[in-house]
Amino acid sequence: MNYIITIGRQLGSGGKQVGEQLAQCLGIPCYDKELINLASRESGLNRTFFEKADEKSRFSVCGHLFGLHSGYMTENTGNYLCNEALFKIQSDVIRKLAGETSCIFVGRCADYILRDHPRCLKVFVCADFHDRLTRLMRTHSLVEKEARLLLEQSDKKRAGYYNYYTNKTWGMATSYDLCMNSSVFGTEEIVRMVELIVKREA
Amino acid sequence: MKDEKATLTLGTEKIGTLLLEYAIPAIIAMTAASLYNITDSIFIGHGVGPMALSGLAITFPLMNLAAAFGSLVGVGASTLLSIRIGQRDYASANTILGNVLVLNVVMGLAFSMASLLFLDPILLFFGASDEMLPYAHQFMIIILAGNVVTHLYFGLNAMLRSAGNPRLAMMGTIFTVLINLVLNPLFIFVFKWGIQGSAFATIISQVVVLAWQFRRFHDKRSIIHWQKGIYRLRRSIVYDSLAIGMAPFLMNAASCLVVIIINRQLMQYGGNMAVGAYGIINRVAFLFIMIVLGLGQGMQPIAGYNFGAQLHRRVSSVLKRSILYATAIMIIGFAVVELFAGGMAALFTTDRQQIDMASVGLRWVFAVYPLVGFQMICSTFFQSIGKPGKAIILSMTRQVLFLIPLLLILPAQWGITGVWSSFTFSDALSVVLAGALLAAERRSRQ
Repeated sequence: MNYIITIGRQLGSGGKQVGEQLAQCLGIPCYDKELINLASRESGLNRTFFEKADEKSRFSVCGHLFGLHSGYMTENTGNYLCNEALFKIQSDVIRKLAGETSCIFVGRCADYILRDHPRCLKVFVCADFHDRLTRLMRTHSLVEKEARLLLEQSDKKRAGYYNYYTNKTWGMATSYDLCMNSSVFGTEEIVRMVELIVKREA
Repeated sequence: MKDEKATLTLGTEKIGTLLLEYAIPAIIAMTAASLYNITDSIFIGHGVGPMALSGLAITFPLMNLAAAFGSLVGVGASTLLSIRIGQRDYASANTILGNVLVLNVVMGLAFSMASLLFLDPILLFFGASDEMLPYAHQFMIIILAGNVVTHLYFGLNAMLRSAGNPRLAMMGTIFTVLINLVLNPLFIFVFKWGIQGSAFATIISQVVVLAWQFRRFHDKRSIIHWQKGIYRLRRSIVYDSLAIGMAPFLMNAASCLVVIIINRQLMQYGGNMAVGAYGIINRVAFLFIMIVLGLGQGMQPIAGYNFGAQLHRRVSSVLKRSILYATAIMIIGFAVVELFAGGMAALFTTDRQQIDMASVGLRWVFAVYPLVGFQMICSTFFQSIGKPGKAIILSMTRQVLFLIPLLLILPAQWGITGVWSSFTFSDALSVVLAGALLAAERRSRQ
């Protein structure tokens, strides 16, 4: 039976890199931003709408405004461009992919979406703030002040997104099977450890 | 899966067929709620009298405010619930159900106590005269005492709908209307309970349906049901529900403020009977507004999906068709009112002065209604294509932002006619604004 690895990660922790390297070692696909294209193809909706909703705003106000004049009789399932509806489409795509082949998902609440999958390893990668800052400045070619701001915003956004859709707490150890600090182990070491676990179980 | 198939047809099926399929259930639900308000007023007008009708109209803002507090919890919680149901996360879904129960009880009791304590001062501030006050007071005492029931009934109905049972939720709504339709005349004409009879009928009908809802959620087989451990309030659920519910709450609260201003101005420039006349106009206008809102709700998924899929020809086709239907509905309303204004007012009351005032007011209020359908559809359209900001602006200008200044200025010059014509001018201005926003939207896409 196929297996799944989900990787939650802080921005600048190297979590995405871990996913890509693992994919190479294990010879399975890794889905990150590609999920947007797939969700777009699956639903027929343009990708720009998914990009706007991607791991961002907590929720939208659309779908909730009218019908309240009569004691909120509105059906809030009616709006296809709501962040909530787009999340549903994306999570259906994740479930579908997970049902077909072994693969890796980076972010997008995949650990929660696939919580009932019998062979799913849920990894979370974090790092010390200073290391994240350095990495971000290098990869995004930013000065320190910009990188610091981006990190703070990203933490807030990702936590908001995750907590809103899953009713759990982003980055909290009980949500995952394996939480690792890339400042302590380094991304290559993490890849090796996860690979070991996967090979043993598979 | 059913959802996927539904999504697919949204992009391919004929627009006319889709629109009928989606709009008709929504229109039925909306019309049912509106008919309930109309029959209520008719029974009170004929069974209790014209002054009672005025007393009833004075209580509108307080009823709105109660509904606003209900929606503060209900709208957000049902959004959260449908997210969890969509992920088949039934444990979290159950927690939301339990939290909604507790929140509604707390909110409902708090609102009852605060407003019962200051009931007379509130009603006087809302513009009640000494003659109206007893009616408004008697009515609201019962309604507020049963406020927890009302909140729970609406809250659980929203839960039913979000849990994938829209049909059951609609049945609940229609049931309350039917029970009320039987009890209302019984209490008013046979038992002679006066305006309190109507309030009792409202609350009792909700108690009956609430009992039925409780039984539904008692069934262990249904995906969400009462169970241990779901009633402890969870910070995240409370916070998210309130945050989502804030926008609809503020809009309801704003419309409550508008009605207060209307009633006070009418009291000052027209007297007791004018307030009741507004009550009549409000009920008639509401019927047509609700039908168009229902149509808009039906349009939403079709416009939203096709806009997202960039099938712009289909988007403009559904928009045009919705505007056409909305305009047709409003022209019917306009024609009926302009031809039979007196007759319509006489449905509600026997008082000559009130009939005359209401028929003049009806003619003013409906004067630009043939164009208002367009305005309302535009607002819903912006909402469905993911531009809630413009939707809010359009909705607020017509009902609040244009209306309030006009209501404060015009009556000083033209007296009671100034109040009625405020609606006309506010509607006309917002139609122009809707046209401008829609034209800008079309230009930006070319």
